[in-house]
Amino acid sequence: MLALSDFLVLAAVLFCISVVGIFINRKNLIVLLMCIELMLLAVNLNFVAFSHFSGNIAGQVFVFFILTVAAAEAAIGLAILVVLFRNKRNINVEQLDALKG
Amino acid sequence: MNLANLHLLLPEIFVLSMACVILLVDAYWRKCLHGIAYQLSQATLVGALLFTAFISVKEPVIALSGTFVWDSMAKVLKLFIYVITFTVFLYSRQYLIDRNLFKGEFFVLGLFAMAGMMVMVSAHHFLTLYLGLELLSLSLYAMVAMHRDSAQASEAAMKYFVLGALASGMLLYGMSIIYGLTGSLDLTTIAGVIAENKIEPMLLKFGLVFILIGLAFKLGAVPFHMWLPDVYQGAPTAVTLFISSAPKLAAFAMLMRLLVEGLGSLNVDWQGMLLFLSVLSMALGNIVAIAQTNVKRMLAYSTISHVGFLLLGMLTAKEAGYAAAMFYTMVYTLMSLGAFGLLLLLSHAGFEAENLNDFKGLNRRQPWYALIMMIVVLSMAGVPPMLGFWAKWSVLSQVVAGGFMWLAVLAVLFSVIGAFYYLRIIKLMYFDAPTDNAPVLKPSADIHWALTLNGMVILVLGVLPESLMTVCRVALS
Amino acid sequence: MVQFIFYLFATVLIFAAVRVITVKNPVHAALHLVLAFFSMAAIWLLLEAEFLAIALVLVYVGAVMVLFLFVVMMLDINVATVSEGFTRYLSSGFLVGLLILLEMVAVVGSHHFGLKAMPAPTPMAADAVVNTVLLGNVLYTEYVYPFELAAIILLVAMVAAIALVMRPKRWSKYVKPEDQVVVKAQDRLTMVKMTAEKES
Repeated sequence: MLALSDFLVLAAVLFCISVVGIFINRKNLIVLLMCIELMLLAVNLNFVAFSHFSGNIAGQVFVFFILTVAAAEAAIGLAILVVLFRNKRNINVEQLDALKG
Repeated sequence: MNLANLHLLLPEIFVLSMACVILLVDAYWRKCLHGIAYQLSQATLVGALLFTAFISVKEPVIALSGTFVWDSMAKVLKLFIYVITFTVFLYSRQYLIDRNLFKGEFFVLGLFAMAGMMVMVSAHHFLTLYLGLELLSLSLYAMVAMHRDSAQASEAAMKYFVLGALASGMLLYGMSIIYGLTGSLDLTTIAGVIAENKIEPMLLKFGLVFILIGLAFKLGAVPFHMWLPDVYQGAPTAVTLFISSAPKLAAFAMLMRLLVEGLGSLNVDWQGMLLFLSVLSMALGNIVAIAQTNVKRMLAYSTISHVGFLLLGMLTAKEAGYAAAMFYTMVYTLMSLGAFGLLLLLSHAGFEAENLNDFKGLNRRQPWYALIMMIVVLSMAGVPPMLGFWAKWSVLSQVVAGGFMWLAVLAVLFSVIGAFYYLRIIKLMYFDAPTDNAPVLKPSADIHWALTLNGMVILVLGVLPESLMTVCRVALS
Repeated sequence: MVQFIFYLFATVLIFAAVRVITVKNPVHAALHLVLAFFSMAAIWLLLEAEFLAIALVLVYVGAVMVLFLFVVMMLDINVATVSEGFTRYLSSGFLVGLLILLEMVAVVGSHHFGLKAMPAPTPMAADAVVNTVLLGNVLYTEYVYPFELAAIILLVAMVAAIALVMRPKRWSKYVKPEDQVVVKAQDRLTMVKMTAEKES
């Protein structure tokens, strides 16, 4: 039998991979956006698993909304990325250094 | 489906439909009706104010299957948010025209962001809190990047976006844990289940930590503040003005809803964490601000220190403390409005007033605005009898009453350090000679009077702080 | 059997996720993310969340990832520069990540959420109410307010993306013959009156 903990541990692993991804990635902003998608995926797995094991549909509804918002977020993130690329001609994380003090 | 209390949603419905109308009007008639988007947005804000003011319900009402709540705190905060947003749009107008940003999108996104704040303020459910927060954040990310040809602005937007999304992820992870433990997303039910004491406290704390990290990111509390100075500096000043004012009220509401209404029985746990965030924020904000030469960046660090003060009020975990925190937030938005409003005023086509040196000799060029700036800055530093002093006073007295004497001493100490960089602005304005012969600006009458009013409110309410304080106390009781 | 399917897809999912963050070419990263989404959809099917599993494939694999790939291609990023100086943070990053993971697993592991604490629900009967119907029932009644808000969020995304990225026609340079024909001398040349200045 699969226990709730199996799913939660999988979600935790995924969550950590995405956090590490955000911190080790110094070169490419697109991969950073992908890490954010992974992170939301981990959260979604948490909600679906809890929802299944407690027999409560609210968790699945929440996932439905997270999916919607994540899609909107991806669109805006990519739009900002395109604007940034037009201004800087690259999307290197290390070259985001105009603002310092 | 229970739609019995739909009239309570009237302000939200009105704002959102008007935003759509403005979008269409602007798309078709922007050529022949210049500035129509601006006028309609301001009319919308006035309309929403009237709608909200005329809804008088004494008892808190929870409507729409528990996703929406109407109480006096929501009403007061919403009214304040309208006023602040109205002023933000007013102050920004000339700046936007000068930079060719006076377009419908700015105002439409501004209204959507405000709708997000309204949703947060009356959210009573994890789902509405999250959706309101995202509606606000997504609009703000886009507004920061609105100045498309500025590399600084797009860089700021990217940083804001990535860290904001990270914060949302943390917040959601925490929410998922709390949901798994309590089996509900509704704040009342969650509070009820937690109060039964059947859940292992360690697990609840685990969820709480993630929620707090998310909140701290959004608030800009140290050590999750990295984005704030960059965004304040990089964004067009009009957007900085917006970010630094009204959303703080929504953030306060979010703290209230999540921590107090939802996780109120865990107050011992979040008190300690807030204490940590608060002390660090006050220390770092005030000390690093001294080293800044860019005013926007300096005000960003000053915001961080103000966030520390706001958290001080929250961590007393008492109703009077929350009222003090609410009072502090309101006063902070008023002061921030004044400071950034003056920066907007001093900027003109082809020139951004953002360095400390731009204030040099302001008194000789424009004595009236120098005076208003002095009032704002003195208030931020917490010099009596300005409003800012009473805000700090009310928070500190609650902290002392809560038994955190050492914390109050520490807060006063950091405020004194902070006073240094505020006073430096006054010195520059009054005792230094102007370096360049910048033109004497003649802003349009409405902006002039609004700024004057802003300064006067800080001064007059400083003499009568009890009135605003009573509003806060009544709103939370 | 169910366990075998779970562990298979979980392994694929973790492999794909690790590849997403370590791979050098963003196109490969995007494709691995697609793989991750697919495996996740399979795992959600095990959790009887059929509607969400299919929505995940449709929305993410079908729309969002295509958008990602589209942007990667459009920006034409130089892969060679992307690959440099990446290993510097690798070891410390993984160490920190591993620590966080161990702490998280200690909390969400089988001690608190094992079968003893949370027994598995009985599998749904074949003729039970479909998951999609269940979701639909609450979505348009109990959650009608969030539903409308989600609609607004999508609108905001649309407005923002258009406002940020779309370049209006007047920015691209082109010639209007009809304007050229009617042009007058005054439109091209402005005479300015000024006092004569002597070179000093």
